Amino acid sequence: MRPYFEKMTEFGKPLSDGLKKRMEESVSQIKEVENGIAEAVEKVRNAGLPAETLNKRGEWTVYQRLEYLLDPGTWCPLHTLYDPMDEESGTTGVVDGIGRISGRWAVIIGFDNKVLAGAWIAGQAENILRVTDLAKRLNVPLVWLVNCSGVKLTEQEKVYAGRRGNGTTFFRHAELEKLGIPVLASIWGTNPAGGGYQGISPTYLLAHKNCNIAVGGAGIVSGMSPKGFFDEEGAESIIAATKGFKEVPPGRVEIHYDSTGFFKAVYETEEGILDGLKDLMKAMPAYDPRFFRVAEPKAPRFDPSEIDYIIPFNQKQSYNFDEVVARLTDNSEHMEFRPDYGPEVYTGLAKVDGLLVGIIGNRQGFLPKGYPEYAPYPGIGGKLYRQGLIKMNEFVTLCGRDRVPIIWLQDTTGIDVGDYAEKAELLGLGQSLVYSIEQTDVPMMMVVLRKGTAAAHYILGGPTANNNNAFSLGTPTTEIYVMHGETAAVASFARRLVKEQEAGRPLQPIIDKMNALAAEYTAKSRPAYCAKMGFVDEIVSFGAIRKYMVAFANSVYQNPKSICPQHHMVLPRIIRG
Amino acid sequence: MAEQITAPMVGKIIKLHVKVGDHVGEDDPVVTMEAMKTEMPLVSPIDGTVKEIRVQAGQQVEADDVVAVVE
Repeated sequence: MRPYFEKMTEFGKPLSDGLKKRMEESVSQIKEVENGIAEAVEKVRNAGLPAETLNKRGEWTVYQRLEYLLDPGTWCPLHTLYDPMDEESGTTGVVDGIGRISGRWAVIIGFDNKVLAGAWIAGQAENILRVTDLAKRLNVPLVWLVNCSGVKLTEQEKVYAGRRGNGTTFFRHAELEKLGIPVLASIWGTNPAGGGYQGISPTYLLAHKNCNIAVGGAGIVSGMSPKGFFDEEGAESIIAATKGFKEVPPGRVEIHYDSTGFFKAVYETEEGILDGLKDLMKAMPAYDPRFFRVAEPKAPRFDPSEIDYIIPFNQKQSYNFDEVVARLTDNSEHMEFRPDYGPEVYTGLAKVDGLLVGIIGNRQGFLPKGYPEYAPYPGIGGKLYRQGLIKMNEFVTLCGRDRVPIIWLQDTTGIDVGDYAEKAELLGLGQSLVYSIEQTDVPMMMVVLRKGTAAAHYILGGPTANNNNAFSLGTPTTEIYVMHGETAAVASFARRLVKEQEAGRPLQPIIDKMNALAAEYTAKSRPAYCAKMGFVDEIVSFGAIRKYMVAFANSVYQNPKSICPQHHMVLPRIIRG
Repeated sequence: MAEQITAPMVGKIIKLHVKVGDHVGEDDPVVTMEAMKTEMPLVSPIDGTVKEIRVQAGQQVEADDVVAVVE
C-alpha cells in the first residue's frame, strides 16, 4: 500500500501578509483568552501547600514526580481546570494526562500531595472515571502516583458514596485488569482507608520506604463520644488522648513488603521509586511504531500555531477549514474522501507521526449553489445537511472496518431544521451517525475548534460517544451551548413580549431578562467554563493540537485490540477509485 | 482579462476592503458579505487591479449580483 500512503496529496498554502494583517486583532483576542487560561492553570498548580514546604520534608510534589518520570516533551495534561463541584482548593486533587514513560505511552494520574495530602475531595471521582475510561479506550497502561490521605472528612457526603463516588475507582481498576490493561502504582506517604484501596487496587505496587497502605488509619484516637455529643470535658479528654497518641500507622513497608509481599519493591528515594516505575514501563506491551506506520513521520509543512491567523475569534466570521487541517497533518498531505459530495463536511485520511488517521470536520462559509439539494434556500458551512451526514456515516463505518482512529475537528452551528430538513431525513441521519460511531470500535479524539452547538455537538464525535471518544479538547475560541444565547433569549421570551405588549405593559423588564440570559449563555459557554465543567477535557492553544494528535495516534497504535492489515484496507482504495 | 466577483446568495455587504485602482492578490478579500449570520469575504479570483466596485457597505445584494470587477 506504499503508493497510497507514502505520498498523499499536498494541500494548504502559506499565510499571506494581507491575512496576517487582517487577523491581528483576532489573534490578540485569542492570546488574551490564552493568558487567562494560563493564569488559571498556574493557580491550580499552586493550590495547597507551597512546593518548598513538601521539599523541606524530603517529599517531591506530584508535578516534580511527573517531570522526573516522563519522557521529555511528551506530557499532554488533561482536566487541569476541571472542578465541577467548586471544590475550595479549585481543583479535583488529582493531576492527569497522557505521556510517554521509557518510550511507552500511558495514561498517568497522581494525587496532588500539596492539597490536603492527596485527599479524596469533591469532583475527584468524576475526574478519575474519565481517566480510567481513557486508559480503557486507548488500551494503554494506567500509571498511578498514589499519595492519598483518604476522604476529606468534612465533606464526605460529596465524595464517599454513590454509583460514581470515589469507591468506584476500585471497580474500574478491576475492570481494566479484566480487559488486560495493567494498572501500575507507585506509592508514597500515608494511605489509610480509601487511600489504602487506592494503593492495593492496582496491578503492580511499588513502595517508597515511608509509605503505608491500610484498611483504616491510625490517626483516629478514639471512636464516638460516649455522651452522644461533645462538650468541654470531652474536648479535654480528646486533647489528652491526642497528646499521648504515639501509634505508628498500620500497613507500613515492614508489613506489606516483608510480611504480605503486596509491595513488589521498596525504594529509599524519590528518584529510586520513579526509576523503578520507568523500568517497569519497559515491560509493558507495546508495538514498535514502525509496525503500523504507513510512512516516515514528518512535521506539517506549515506551523500549527499559524491556525491563530486562520480561525477568527469572531464567531460570525468564516475561514478556510482545509488550511487548518493542512497545519495538523504530516507534511500537510491528505487523501480526501468524496470531495464532491456533502460539501459542508470534510472527511479524509491523513498521517500523524507516520500513523494513519481519519479526519472529519466542518467546512465554513458559503456552500456551492444548489446545495442543499432538497431545499430552496442556500446552505452555509458549519451546518449539517443530508449529504454531509450520509458521507460521515460512510466514512466512520469504513474507518471502523479498516481500524483507522478518527480525529474530529468540530465547529458547528447545528443540523439544518424545518420541514425540508425533516423530509430529507436529517433527524434520522443524525442518529444514524451516533449508531455508526457506536458500531465501530476505533478510538476517537475530538477538538471543538470553535462552536459546539445543538445535537451536532453530540453526533460529531462528541464526549457523548462514551465508548469511542477518548478525550475532547477546547481551544481559545471554543463555545459550547445548546443554541446561541440570543437565540435562546428569543425562544424563551418571544411569547412573553407579545403578551406584555398586548397588555400595555412596558417591555423593558423582559428585554433586561433577555439580555441577562444571553450574557449568562456567553459566560457559561466560554473555554474556562467548558474546562471547569468537563464539557472538554482540556483547553489548548491551536499550536498544541498537533501534539495531542501525536500522543493520541501513538497511544492508539501502541497495543491495539484488533488490526486491519494495510493491504486489506478498502477506504484508501475507495478514495482512489 | 476582467473577472467579476459575484454574491453567492442573498445578503448584505458589510465592509469594503479595497477601492478602485487598488492592487489585489489572488484570494485577497474585496468585500465582506453577511448572510445567514455568517460573515464571509468575497475574494479576488486573480492577481490584478480593482476596476469597479458596484456596492456600498450596508447594501443588500441578491444572489449573482456583481459586487466588483478585477482586471
